[in-house]
Amino acid sequence: MNSFAKFAILIAATALGAGAVQAQQPAGPVSLSGDVKAVKIVTAADGSERTELVEPGTIVPGDRLIFGTDYANTGSEIVTDFIVTNPLPAAVRLAPDADPELTVSIDGGKSWGRLAELKVTAPDGTQRAATHEDVTHVRWVLASIAPGAKGRLTYPAIIR
Amino acid sequence: MANAFITTLPVLARGMDKKSAPFRPHSLLAAAASAALVLGSAPAGAAGVTAGTLIENTAVASYDDGAGARTINSNTVTVRVDELLDVTLTSLDPGPVATGPGEAVLRFELTNQGNGPEAFRLIANPAVAGNDFDVTVTAIAIDRNGNGTYDAGVDELLGAPQLTAELAPDTVLTLFVLVEVPAGATDTQTSAVELVAEAVTGNGAPGTVFAGAGVDGGDAIVGTTEARALARGNLEVGVTAVALTKAVTLRDPFGGTGAVPGTIASFTITATVSGSGSVADLVVTDAIPAGTTYAPGSLALDGTPLTDAADADAGTAAQADGIRVDLGDVAGGSTHAITFDVAID
Repeated sequence: MNSFAKFAILIAATALGAGAVQAQQPAGPVSLSGDVKAVKIVTAADGSERTELVEPGTIVPGDRLIFGTDYANTGSEIVTDFIVTNPLPAAVRLAPDADPELTVSIDGGKSWGRLAELKVTAPDGTQRAATHEDVTHVRWVLASIAPGAKGRLTYPAIIR
Repeated sequence: MANAFITTLPVLARGMDKKSAPFRPHSLLAAAASAALVLGSAPAGAAGVTAGTLIENTAVASYDDGAGARTINSNTVTVRVDELLDVTLTSLDPGPVATGPGEAVLRFELTNQGNGPEAFRLIANPAVAGNDFDVTVTAIAIDRNGNGTYDAGVDELLGAPQLTAELAPDTVLTLFVLVEVPAGATDTQTSAVELVAEAVTGNGAPGTVFAGAGVDGGDAIVGTTEARALARGNLEVGVTAVALTKAVTLRDPFGGTGAVPGTIASFTITATVSGSGSVADLVVTDAIPAGTTYAPGSLALDGTPLTDAADADAGTAAQADGIRVDLGDVAGGSTHAITFDVAID
């Protein structure tokens, strides 16, 4: 991507944080904190394998990442209609073993459903079942978060 | 997918100019979504996402705290894709290259299977176990004009150290190894030449990491090919020889075999090609002997008549120019008989 677009997005991010959100609304009671871990397969002395979540060190196509978002209601009131939307970075695809109940979008966030329910329409009008490769966004919907409650949302991805 | 989001960037840009624009949760959500996708966009070829690509992930939450709808972004986490070092090399020759003593060319194809730009070191080894003889490697050349055939003076000869240019991921390069077959090589002898390509950044067991040696200061890591590839090209000597023998039978007008005026002399030229190879463009010519006249229409190849005129068939015949038969490519071990008649004047 060209550097102008990157610059524009940096500025936009600043504007989001400093201008639009904080200037017009006081800080809300919900906090969101993202992180990413790499999945590493560790072979023990007896030959058995187990997976470990590690800080991403050297990562290359085909490697597995877990993107996580911690949320917490730090306020004293219940919050409702809590929806967390996570666009997938273009360089990754949703891992095949992602929770099949996960709500996903394959059209850039316009429509949502379980992956098994979604269809991709080709330019010639034919349809095929959507695959993990097609997923553009994942989403979690919680009816409410009690004061002081917190949780963690994750999705597994594989570097394309 | 990415395109659809890129189109939302102008909206973002306008929003920047007007910082006092009213807060609209939906457009913000879309803006954040587009940012992550566009930042992460990188061509993913066969080798995967290009080394140096930043993978940036941001979650957006919306909720109602009783006072109305709110939207917040998480922090953005960023990881950089490191450089995978992988290479494949194959022989492009479908079988042993037929050659005689002298120059021969072996063809190879190198592919940068890694996800970053990488140069490769080339090493040609002509001393392979099992060789009947060893060739001398004259040079390694790159198929500059991409026609798959070595063109002297056009295709680039690599000087020492023999390195390719830095190749983009998925680049396929045709290479020529130019060799000299020794004069002592005899028919049906074979020889192999091994070509090795190694990533310049480094090679070794899969998973070996060269810290900081990748794109943009990232790491480079050796992939399943060990960042080293070996291919073998084979040569087979085909020494062929052509032997021509000429015989004549006479038939005089009196039923005998005397050489008198009016005697028909029938010539048979036998072309024998021996050896394991083949000869190209074999043309047999013979003059009409002085004191004789060509018998029109008598030219034949292996018993099949050929017309005298220069036309689609292989032969021509005329009094002044003699006979000419174009046998084309002839494999070793085959024999052709050319016959024609003349009358003694």
